[in-house]
Amino acid sequence: MKHYKLASEFYKQKGQKHNESLWAIRQKRDKAIKEVDEWEELRQKASDIKDNVINNLQKYIDEFIENAKNNNIEVHFAKTDKDHNKIVYSYLKNAKKVVKSKSMLTEECGLNEYLYTKGIEVIDTDLGERIVQLRGEKPSHIVLPAIHTTKEDVAEILNETNTDPTYLTHKMREILRGEFLSADAGISGANFLVANKGYAVVCTNEGNADLGASVPPLHIISVGVDKIVPNMQDLGVFLRMLARNATGQKITTYTSIFGKSEKKRVIILVDNGRLDRINSEFRDTLKCIRCSACLTTCPVFRRGGGHSYRYIIPGPIGSLLAPLKDKEEYKDLPFACTLCNSCEMVCPVKIPFSKQLINMRKYVTKPNPISKVAENILNNPSYYKLFSKILHLTPQWIFDAIPNEWSKYKSIPRIPR
Amino acid sequence: MKLALFIPCYVKELYPNVVKSTILLLDRLGYKVDIPKSQTCCGQAFVNSGQSTNLAKRMDNIFHEYDEVIGIGSSCVSFTKSQGYSIANKIYELTDFLYQKGHRNLATNYPKKIAFHHSCHSIRHLALKTPSELNIPFYDKVKDLLGVEIMQASKDECCGFGGVYSLKEGFLSYVMGRSKLDDLLLSNPDVISGVDMSCLMHLQSIAQKDNDNIQFKHISEIILESLDETLQVS
Repeated sequence: MKHYKLASEFYKQKGQKHNESLWAIRQKRDKAIKEVDEWEELRQKASDIKDNVINNLQKYIDEFIENAKNNNIEVHFAKTDKDHNKIVYSYLKNAKKVVKSKSMLTEECGLNEYLYTKGIEVIDTDLGERIVQLRGEKPSHIVLPAIHTTKEDVAEILNETNTDPTYLTHKMREILRGEFLSADAGISGANFLVANKGYAVVCTNEGNADLGASVPPLHIISVGVDKIVPNMQDLGVFLRMLARNATGQKITTYTSIFGKSEKKRVIILVDNGRLDRINSEFRDTLKCIRCSACLTTCPVFRRGGGHSYRYIIPGPIGSLLAPLKDKEEYKDLPFACTLCNSCEMVCPVKIPFSKQLINMRKYVTKPNPISKVAENILNNPSYYKLFSKILHLTPQWIFDAIPNEWSKYKSIPRIPR
Repeated sequence: MKLALFIPCYVKELYPNVVKSTILLLDRLGYKVDIPKSQTCCGQAFVNSGQSTNLAKRMDNIFHEYDEVIGIGSSCVSFTKSQGYSIANKIYELTDFLYQKGHRNLATNYPKKIAFHHSCHSIRHLALKTPSELNIPFYDKVKDLLGVEIMQASKDECCGFGGVYSLKEGFLSYVMGRSKLDDLLLSNPDVISGVDMSCLMHLQSIAQKDNDNIQFKHISEIILESLDETLQVS
């Protein structure tokens, strides 16, 4: 269990505080959703909208492309992460620097690393993302990428002795302003695409995506095909839920809708395995809107941190997505879970997490012959009776002496005689 | 109405006292239940380990002739439901069963201070109490059934047991259990109770190792003792 090792190390250093910070956000979230009387109905509605989109995805993709083109936006479809990166680069042949605002998709595609090899400097402009970028790390949380760091960590990367968060934020702001003004292009993700309008919708708290979209001469939006919603009414359902569920805000500080403009704008729709997932047993993961509530509530995530998942999307949703990318590397993730079902309860689109995580365990696990033997015993009452007899005749000290993960930290239950 | 008692394998092997108190309690409340001798295991440990199993068929065969099945503990009961066993719609966890039958205030004479551990399977799978994640009206079937003040943990999060999880990530499982135990002990209870012996086993094993002086009792033991108390008083 690679996750176990990393998560335990993290817990010993920072786990307690990390747990408290995230639980505070979970409580803010609980308060915010309770202000919406029809919250549970909204969840059902959101789930239904997503089901409809997934069932008719190709139709909505075609509709979106047509409408976006009418909005003077250049649209590309990228089958793979590599295709995506190539398309981005085709617009940046003469570029030296790009400013990027938060996009899990470009992380998924490894865009930063690709652009470095082409000699292009990439500046992440979301505060948390910039912090992890300067630390040479990856985000540890989808919405709170630097939640694993402390204010002292941030002061250190900025060479500051003052650890006041407001001071440090202003310092970072000062540095980033210059980057926006000198960038050749801005790259952002998108939270939603509105099919019947051809709009891209970006939700942020810092306004960095808007600066990146408007200051440099070119704006590129990289977005997964699963982000499509049919129309503005449906968009409203998600906008009411996203920020409340993610951080406990009523709505994000900036909700920017990019439609028709004179500005040169490019949208790259990325598949990268999503369309294949429609007909798989993990189809429901396509409903995810990346609100991150499942990470924040997860008792394992809160204590073990996001980096222990080693995948760009951590937590419960990451434990479903990562093994689909690399079954062998991430086979421990669906087991880094107590099946407490809290993720399923907070999920705004009702992904059946417990069921999916159990299915994922089967997906990554090879059949175990010992398990077959145990099953045979349990299928035969007389074998089971014999097993039970042996269990109760075995001296307690033998059970106590077997080293395992339980006995390291806990007493072994007494076997009744 | 034909009733059967489903006894999860680990309860049968490790907690014969809980099997006994459940049988006595059901009898005391006037329910005649069969205990099919050929029952063994629901298969949860296999499925949660990523292994396939045909034990579902076995459960279905044994219990299909009954109108209602009562199970000890919400974990195995909710497992049979979520896996779509054919008995899914007629199996109830003991507390849930008694609540559905209209029982209330069964432990009003319990003389000791109870801290109650609501397990994930009882809150977030079987809906015995409002989970803190949802925006739905508050209810607590266990509290109504017992009719006595029960202390509860401030967070309704997982105790860290998680079956397979406790054997895969022992340290983190302990850390979660420790914080749950601290939370429950805050109210200075005489006894910690719950509907799931699995969570209680985990918490008790931590309490023993860390030398916390606290008793653990299954909800059926609490109710039964309280009914005995009532008898003595009257």
